[in-house]
Order: sequence, then structure tokens, then C-alpha cells
Amino acid sequence: MPKQQPQAEQVPSGLVPKRQLGHTGVQVSALGIGGYHLGSVGTDRAALEIVAKALDHGIDFFDNCWEYHDGLSEERLGKALQGKRDHAFLMTKVCSHGRDKSVAMRMLEESLRRLQTDHLDLWQIHEVVYDNDPDLIFAPNGAAEALTAAKQQGKVRFIGFTGHKDPSIHLRMLEHKFPFDTVQMPLNCFDASFRSFETQVLPEVTRRGMAALGMKSLGGSGEMVRHGTITAHEGLRYAMSLPVATTISGIDTMEVLDQNLQVAVNFQPLSAAEMQGLRDRSRYFASDGRFELFKMTTKYDGKVGRQQHHFPTEQELPL
Amino acid sequence: MQQSSSGSIPLRQFGRHPVKISALGFGGHHVGDAPDEKTAIQIVQEAVDGGITFFDNCWEYRRGKTELWMGAGLKGRRDKVFLMTKTCPHGRDASLALQMLEESLHRLQTDHLDLWQVHGMCFDNDPELFIRPNGAAEALTKAKKDGKVRFVGFTGHQNFNVHLAMLNTGFPFDSVQMPLNVFDSNFRSFEQHVLPELNKRGIAALGMKPFGGHGDAIRAGVLTAQESLRYAMSLPVSTTITGMDSIDILHQNLRIAQNFTPMQAEEMTALRDRCKASAADGRYELYKLSLKFDNPESRIAHGFPVDTQQSEVRDMLGSELNTGHPFPEKHF
Repeated sequence: MPKQQPQAEQVPSGLVPKRQLGHTGVQVSALGIGGYHLGSVGTDRAALEIVAKALDHGIDFFDNCWEYHDGLSEERLGKALQGKRDHAFLMTKVCSHGRDKSVAMRMLEESLRRLQTDHLDLWQIHEVVYDNDPDLIFAPNGAAEALTAAKQQGKVRFIGFTGHKDPSIHLRMLEHKFPFDTVQMPLNCFDASFRSFETQVLPEVTRRGMAALGMKSLGGSGEMVRHGTITAHEGLRYAMSLPVATTISGIDTMEVLDQNLQVAVNFQPLSAAEMQGLRDRSRYFASDGRFELFKMTTKYDGKVGRQQHHFPTEQELPL
Repeated sequence: MQQSSSGSIPLRQFGRHPVKISALGFGGHHVGDAPDEKTAIQIVQEAVDGGITFFDNCWEYRRGKTELWMGAGLKGRRDKVFLMTKTCPHGRDASLALQMLEESLHRLQTDHLDLWQVHGMCFDNDPELFIRPNGAAEALTKAKKDGKVRFVGFTGHQNFNVHLAMLNTGFPFDSVQMPLNVFDSNFRSFEQHVLPELNKRGIAALGMKPFGGHGDAIRAGVLTAQESLRYAMSLPVSTTITGMDSIDILHQNLRIAQNFTPMQAEEMTALRDRCKASAADGRYELYKLSLKFDNPESRIAHGFPVDTQQSEVRDMLGSELNTGHPFPEKHF
């Protein structure tokens, strides 16, 4: 999420509401803190303050990933949750990107060490975005077996996968009938009109009793807000009004945290008509995907996955 | 596909029309990579003399340089070739497409085209913008009626669903151009999804990128240049267009095309199987996955950011024709 103009309004008193995490019997906060941006913040101290304030307002869902900022995001979150681990629902992701179970298990140990904990609440396969990822993940000795093993060993409570590219890839993951607890995907009012996870994947996930986790509520880097099609409040409210367990939002300043808390504390969903209004307003700009480049191009694909798939680096192939 | 031999390269029928074109086509983009105009003219002339009749080009290639050089090369040989170029309104109005036609004719030193195609259909809303009132579809119809072009079609390299949506507009296309190579057969495949539809409708299928665009797979040793080109030419297409930026490459391709014998079905299956694992994530078909291979003109028309490192953007920024607008305000 980009820097926003500081808003005059204060964060209201009250808490971010909790929601059911699919069929798990566990509840999580309806707004989640994205882990990537914790590594983009200028100092450790500023990142720690963001986490502390989020906890104070009832946010307990914390996202992270083995490959974010080469481990810095996990290290910062580990520090921030020292003594508060039990107040958090802690998720991180594994980046084996088609490699063996043993690679995934080694990454799990590294993540646990950086996060200063002995277990995760949720462990997800990161960035399922290449067309052959489902085949590689479900190959014998692939990452799916690592998820099962980690759950059996009590190192993770729940398991899932994430991806930002194409609904068809998510659907192929679901076809394997693997007992995922969660599925993470981009959900925003532009997505509704373009290669839509909302219309193609979300109903499938819900029908199977899995928890849907939304991300990229403003387009990944706030492109939709900068363009002026929607405000940050509208974008976040739309995403949080969908049938998801939580909406994960990257926060790199206190101003952005406050802006999100203004929406999420005592959250009131949009009406069906209001949601339709936002979809209608966005449709023209959404229809060629320019505001969802993560679906169109390699721009949002991480370097570890690119290497494993023999793709050029970000410098060689910027878009 | 009907095939007969005239000169040295096999000729094939152009879709439902009683017109023959060479089974190997001369790609217009790469002629702009020749070191100078003299070399480019020589490549074009030798290509015609070697039996290539199908010539591809595009209004937006190298800011007009490729059309200018090809026009110079075809001087005195125009009647021997089937000349195609493309128009680049990218969703904008018919009038713009027709202005581009006048520029292309001028640069190519001719009064008519054999084929005029709408370039670079790749975004999900391109078909809708094409067929709308005052869209490019009306320009194709008018140019044909005015006798400035004999046939019309469209091209695109990114997403077969966009091609299918273009066909579903109901517009009477004579030709459709698309990437066809062994990697495509295993990844978001035009061969599987679009080619049968064209054959059924009697629309001429024009293959391109027989080497996967940049030959990366050949350099990686997955298959040879001869295998790549033979595979593409063995599909039910009217021609296979490939770029030739040097006399050596021209000679290599002429040799393969002049000695062409189609692959047997089993041979094609074996090659597909051999390339399957490295095709599955698109690593050798980045034009289906990255904006880097899209035309800057198209990105500008759609409001996309342009990649300033891309050679065509650098051309655009350094060009005398550049006016700061996507379409040079230059009229003939």
C-alpha cells in the first residue's frame, strides 16, 4: 500500500472485528498485516511500532513469507511479537517453487527461527503463479507432502496456498482435493471485472469450507487510488465486504495503518448496491488489466520463483 | 493444406481464396535490424529471388524504418510479392487506422496492399474496442471497399482467448496471425485452441515465432533451428513468418524451406513430448507472459506504463518523427 495523505480523522475507539477462519473453528481479525511491507519500512523500530499498534486495535492476523526481503520481514515480525506470540495468528509462506519437500521443510525451520517461535498458525505455499506449479507441487515428494508432514509434526496448525496470477491456476490447485484450510488471492473491485478471482475462485473456496484470504485490495501498490478511480477507504471496504476471513494489507507507515483502521475498526460492510456501484465505476479501467499488473506481467513475481522457473531476472524483464 | 511448387519454395493457398503464397514468409520487424538500408534492400531482393512471396510488415515497427526499407527493396519487384502490413490503432478510432494506412502505402511505395491486418490484439478489451462503432473494424471494411487492400486480418501473440473473442465478433476476416511453435503446443496453446477454428472457417492461418521469438530454446540446446522451423511449417498454416536480419539467416531459412518436407504426425508428437517439460511454465514463450514484448504504441493507447529500456521505446524517444504523441502528426 502506498503512502497516503495523512487523514485528519482519528482512529475510532473499538476493535477490528473477528471472523471465522473457514472450517477451522478459529477466529482471526478481519484485517491482516501484510509481511512484505514490514521489510520496506525504514527502521526496525518503525516496523515494531506498526505491529504494536495493530495488536492494540485488535488485529491478530500477521502475514509473512520466507523470501520477503531475504528474511528481514520475518526477523522484524519475530522481534515485534516477542512476548506477544500468543496474541497473534501467525502465518508465513514457503518458497520451494517446484522443488522437493526437503527444501520446503528446511525453509520452515528457517522461518520458525527468524520468527522466534516453535510453531506457525498457518503455513502456505507461496506464489503459485506459473502454469505448471500445481503439477510440481503435487508431484511425488513435492511441497504438498511437506504441508502434510509439518501439520502432522505439530509445527503448523493450518495449511494453504497463495498466488496472484490467474484464477485457472488456483482452480487447478483445488482440483487436487487436497485438504487446504486457506486460499489467498487478490480481491478488489477491479478484479471483479478482469480475470476474476472473486467470480471464479472465491465461490469454490467458500463452497469447500476453506477460508478465503484477500490481498491487493488497492491493486498491489495503490495504483487504483493514485489514478483516482476509488479512494483507499472504498477499496478496502469493498475487499473486506467480500466473504473472506481476512483482508491482508501491506502497511509501511503509521498513516496507512490509521487509514486502514478507520475502515476496519467497528467494520461496516458495504451494501450489495454499493458494491455494484464500485464495480461499475471500475469496469472501464479494469477491463485491460492495467491496474492489476500482477495478473498480466512478471512485475510482481519474486526472484526465487523466477530462478526456479528459468525466467529472466527483474532487471532483464521488468514487466 | 494444398501445396504446389513454383520457383523453389512451396506455395500454399491463402485460406478460402484462390491465391497462393510462399510457405515461408519474410518477417518485417527484423529487416530493421540490418546494419544499413543497402543490406536491408539486398536481403529483401534475395528473398524474392529465392522464392519468398509473402512479405510481412507493420506501421509501428521501428518508427516506419522497416516499411521504408522494404519498400525500397521491393521496387521493381512489387508484382512478384504478396505484401502485408499492419495498422496500429490499438483500440482507437477507424480514422486513425486509415491515416496509418496512407502512411504505410507511402513508405512501402505502393498503391495497394495484398493484406492489411490489425496489429497486436492482446488485451482483454481489444476485441470490444475493435468492433465498436467507429472502431478499427470499420477501417478494414472501408479500405477493402476502396480497393486499397485486397484482404484483411488481425494479429496477436499474447492470449489465445483474445483471438477467439476476435473471431466471435463475427467480422469476416481473411487471415489470422499467431505464434505457432512446438512450445506453444504445450502452453496456453494457439495451436490447440485457435488453429482448428481457422481451418474450419476457411480463414488463412499465418504462423509466426517458429523459434519461440528469440531462439532461446535453440541456444539452450532443447531443439535445433531446423526442427523448430520444420515443426511450425508442418502445421496446417498458409505461411510461417520469420524474421531475417542478415543474409546468413536468410540463406539458412531458404535452405530449410526449399528442401521442406512436412514432418509426420509421430515425429511432431515426439518433438512435442521432448519439449513438454520446458514448455510448461512459458519460459520460452515470454511474449505470452510479459509486457516487455508488447508494442509501446499499444501500451500507450491502453494507458499502460512503457518500459523505457525496450528498444522500440528507445527508437520512439529518439525518433525524428516523435512528437510526444503516440501517433506522429505527419500527413502525406
